[in-house]
Amino acid sequence: MTLTDVRSRFRDPTAAELQLIAKYAELPEDARRARAFEAFAQSGLPHRRMEQWKWTDFRSGLKSIERPAARNISRLTPPDAAMVLRFDGQSWHIPGDLEEGLAVQEKSQAPALGDAEQLPMAALTASLTGHPQSASVLQIEVSKPLRRPVFLDFDVSGREMAFSRVAFVIRPEAGLDVIEQHTGGAGLSSAVIEFSIQKNARVTRTLLQSGGADETTAITGLVSLEENASYKQTALGFGAGVARIETRLAYLGAHGVATLNAAYLPAGGMHVDFTSHILHGAESCVTRQLTKGAVAEGGRGVFQGKFHVPRTIGQYTDADMQHQALLLDNGAEVFAKPELEIYADDVECAHGNTSGQLDETALFYMQQRGIPLPQARAMLTEAFIAEALADGHPDVVEALTCASRDFLRMEGQD
Amino acid sequence: MLKIENLCASVGEGDESKAIINGLTLEVPGGEVHAIMGPNGAGKSTLAYVLTGREGYEVTGGSVSLAGEDLLGMEPDTRAAKGVFLSFQYPVEIPGVPVMTFVRAAMNAQRKARGEEEISAPDFIKKAREIGATLKIEAEMLKRPVNVGFSGGEKKRLEIFQMMMIEPRFAILDETDSGLDIDALKTVSDGVNALRSPDRGMLVITHYQRLLDHIRPDKVHVFAKGRVVKTGGPELAEQLEREGYDGILGEPA
Repeated sequence: MTLTDVRSRFRDPTAAELQLIAKYAELPEDARRARAFEAFAQSGLPHRRMEQWKWTDFRSGLKSIERPAARNISRLTPPDAAMVLRFDGQSWHIPGDLEEGLAVQEKSQAPALGDAEQLPMAALTASLTGHPQSASVLQIEVSKPLRRPVFLDFDVSGREMAFSRVAFVIRPEAGLDVIEQHTGGAGLSSAVIEFSIQKNARVTRTLLQSGGADETTAITGLVSLEENASYKQTALGFGAGVARIETRLAYLGAHGVATLNAAYLPAGGMHVDFTSHILHGAESCVTRQLTKGAVAEGGRGVFQGKFHVPRTIGQYTDADMQHQALLLDNGAEVFAKPELEIYADDVECAHGNTSGQLDETALFYMQQRGIPLPQARAMLTEAFIAEALADGHPDVVEALTCASRDFLRMEGQD
Repeated sequence: MLKIENLCASVGEGDESKAIINGLTLEVPGGEVHAIMGPNGAGKSTLAYVLTGREGYEVTGGSVSLAGEDLLGMEPDTRAAKGVFLSFQYPVEIPGVPVMTFVRAAMNAQRKARGEEEISAPDFIKKAREIGATLKIEAEMLKRPVNVGFSGGEKKRLEIFQMMMIEPRFAILDETDSGLDIDALKTVSDGVNALRSPDRGMLVITHYQRLLDHIRPDKVHVFAKGRVVKTGGPELAEQLEREGYDGILGEPA
């Protein structure tokens, strides 16, 4: 495919899309990457006229892809025991002392990506990773219950754009704890993390995302669970100019269990989107989802959640989705779309969705005890958010709670 | 100590505004406990909120001072730091904030406002244990979020726990007896009595005389239509119990 051919697939490409086309054209030809890029070309950068992206518009948020201004980035300290795999925006850095049962392979070839048409940002990422010029794809096999957590550190600062892929395969009975830090720093960054969790295996994933107002970022998690597998995700997102943290999870075998908790805290000028799609494609699987947000003036939070329970195979599903948002100031925005799409007839599915402000009665009670209003507001909001973070990896949960507390105290001082 | 002069206050805004306190004058000297008794709708809880500065309760006239300092211009937390404490009729749930964290934050915020040093963690825990024991509060309860899932009696006990921890200069007890069984009433009253001291005043708001059997007031004020209509000694509470408000007021309240 020549550059002209590729370009012709886009209708009226934006400056940013032209940059992506040029980037793709630099790479050697590869059938899998070509398929992924074609999938991306169908929509181009996702935009508000697409139902799934109506509140999160990469096309208008990213006029052209430029290196953002340098900023102070506060970062998590990896736990002592952690095996730190660092992505610098170009390639991965793998430590030498990996625990037995963990095999990490850098790939210069692109693995196939399922559902690419549904996931334009993941498709873009798949088209630009896994080639001989850059080892930006990792394939990781976990064959035992690991004692030490794997810390994925995405430190892509100072780049125009950065794309990476990590594909985990967790063998039967094995166990993995992943901590991911996405601190941004590139004009456009996108990561795709896949977890194929086999029978009786377990994974926990704890994720921290932060970014600058002149950055855009997409983090896509693709999770599949076989029989009796479990997956627990805890995510804290501060957002960026445009940020989307998406999780697509499918149960492939019966009795899978998944917990997806998230907290979003966008400051003024920040946008953070938590989107999830859970396919109950097997009987008797259990999903628990709790998403909480606190949004400052000029900040924007998005929650889109969907449970899809097909007929027959989705029987005996037990699923609960809760979204609760606090608008900290006038001029804070929250958009929410919780969806249950249920075709099976013997299921227990529930959802709840609220957004509002702090309880005035509680604030007065706290003030009556001597606590000044800004501190009372911060205490109530911290407690509200903390519930969504409590299940994070024990080595970093305190750091996540502190990060949210610092944010809320700073907002409270305005 | 607490001096209320010709106080007028209303609730609600604009056309919805309604005068509730109508020219109330009352003085509680240091060392004394006064009771305010009155029928439903007399404005007793409104008075508690006006004294503590709750939003939505507007003072339209008169003055309130504590130890000579005007209270009405102060924010609720400043009033608290000056020594005003309200035991709520309906204590509020604070989800996710454990009692110990909350009370310590409150004590330290007050100390900070007064320019005092924070209470040390060991001193705080020791004091909490001692007071918890006298009020028959389990240590486990102090780890739970404030008032979340507490029974009515537990909530009231926790109010008195906070009062004993904070040691205010002036305490207002709004219907502290409601929701308490006889044993709990005794425990709570013992706690209140333990705080009686020459440099502390208290205002006990209640419907019934039974709390006043345990907390003997120096004076009883009968409150109706937003003002004091009769003042007397403890015997007035007993007379109220016998004759009802209609009997005392000489008209249906």
